[in-house]
Amino acid sequence: MNTQGRLPAAGANANGWRAFLYLLMIAIAVASAFPLVWMVLSSLKTPAEAMQTPPVWIPQTPSLESYQKVNELIRVGRSFANSAVIAGVTTAGILLTSLMAGYAFAKYRFRYREALFAITIATMFLPPIVTLIPLYRLVGSIGLNASLAGVIIPNLANAFGIFLMRQFIAGVPDELLEAARLDGASEFRILFRIVAPAVAPALAALALFAFVYHWNSYLWPLTVLQGNSDNYPIVISLSRLLSYNRSAVNTGLVMAGATLAVLPPLVLFVFLQRFFVRTITASGMTGQ
Amino acid sequence: MLAPGLGLIVVFILVPIALTVWLAFTKWSAQTPFSTAAFIGLDNFREIFGSSSVGRDFKGAMVNTALYSLLSIALILPLSVAFGMLIHQAELRGADILRTILFATYMVPMIAVALVFSKLYSPSEGPINQILSWVGIGPQPWLSSPDTALVSVVLLNVWQQVGYFTILIIAGLTQIPTSVYEAAKMDGARGPALFGHITLPLLKRTLLFSGVIALINAVQVFEPVALITQGGPVGSTNVMTYHIRRVGIERAQGGLGSAMSVTLLLALVVTVTAVFAFARREERR
Repeated sequence: MNTQGRLPAAGANANGWRAFLYLLMIAIAVASAFPLVWMVLSSLKTPAEAMQTPPVWIPQTPSLESYQKVNELIRVGRSFANSAVIAGVTTAGILLTSLMAGYAFAKYRFRYREALFAITIATMFLPPIVTLIPLYRLVGSIGLNASLAGVIIPNLANAFGIFLMRQFIAGVPDELLEAARLDGASEFRILFRIVAPAVAPALAALALFAFVYHWNSYLWPLTVLQGNSDNYPIVISLSRLLSYNRSAVNTGLVMAGATLAVLPPLVLFVFLQRFFVRTITASGMTGQ
Repeated sequence: MLAPGLGLIVVFILVPIALTVWLAFTKWSAQTPFSTAAFIGLDNFREIFGSSSVGRDFKGAMVNTALYSLLSIALILPLSVAFGMLIHQAELRGADILRTILFATYMVPMIAVALVFSKLYSPSEGPINQILSWVGIGPQPWLSSPDTALVSVVLLNVWQQVGYFTILIIAGLTQIPTSVYEAAKMDGARGPALFGHITLPLLKRTLLFSGVIALINAVQVFEPVALITQGGPVGSTNVMTYHIRRVGIERAQGGLGSAMSVTLLLALVVTVTAVFAFARREERR
């Protein structure tokens, strides 16, 4: 697979190898995109088309009927608003807490700094199910069950964000901070006026990651909202479409719902992905 | 500066971990306050490792999760290395587009992935069996048979996650200086030898990190099981996250569920520690 090592003296062989690599690349792209393309195409089918065996691939008479039906069955607008509030507020909180803690870990000297940082990082590797049962009760006991606040508050800080910010803030020159301190700037002013702009691409990447993660998150909202459908984010409202999933007639309906849920994170991704790729590459997250 | 971030982590992660450990030794209904938990020693652990149906279901869930994780890692790591090299090293035009498409699947909510694949896998109307029939492979039962259901969930997980790991591998590949390759080529190393002696050893840390993340991700599989298979057919997709939630929250057997959580946590800690210890010993050699 490594062309650098493979380039032989004869040109024909090398061309054949490159052609093979291109074909491979196209095949992978097709396989990767296929489920999503099929989802969108199916969402445009009429029920009659969805029933046909062998399946119809491209709808002959594309219709938005399925989207209308989704809107009748679940409260799409309300669910989108809930998702936006959950993902938006959580992301804002994560950006703030990560920036602050990352700054402290990167630039302050204090006792137990390394130990505290190690404990924080360790929580990054904790599967949420391990704490789900007491967390559910804990949030209930402070009266936040079934509310959006209950979904949001436990997630306002996370280890990944703190780690990421520490990595990038460590690269901000100390002289810059010292100069601002000599000018009498407060620590918060330094944080927001000097540190934050200097790590803006990493903040953008963290924002994308946090927003998409919490837009998509399912287990915790499902558990804490306890059937209060007024507060359901879109991913949970969608699970109601599942009762229509048994029959092929409703394929279009289910796929229309799925398409609606996918759109916001994908659109955001298209705009912010370059920050994300660059940030992962530069963060040293992979151990180098 | 530290207080908001660490405070939240203490209250919503560290305290719940401590509570989980304590509750694992109690009989407690998750619908009542913590104060109603009654200490019962190791009874919960005896039950989940015993021969009753509780024990059988739990051990089944452990085995399913282990299988699911192993299969996911065994597929994701080699694929992401292959994809990463194709995108980063082969110098093909359009490689960025492939990277974007691969990575995009990671942004798709698992619920949508589950819904879409439940249709793709449909034995009669699903396009996957149709495509297989073009190349002469008979229809597969996918999610509807206990023999293939778990593998089917693994495949949809691999489809969703491989792009993320490809990005991690690319990050690792960019750290390998081209001068190392040039020197090796001067010494006469070619294709497979270059890969075996340069790429793979220098990717080791990246692979280790990726493997651990893939494991943690795999343990979290929930949506496809909760939505499509409900752990079936015949318990074949009953995985830990689904099982613990069903016992601890839905049936409100908080003590029993916590004992399962503690066991899962211990299993993970032991596995990850062992993997790191092994890697460190390899490195010293």
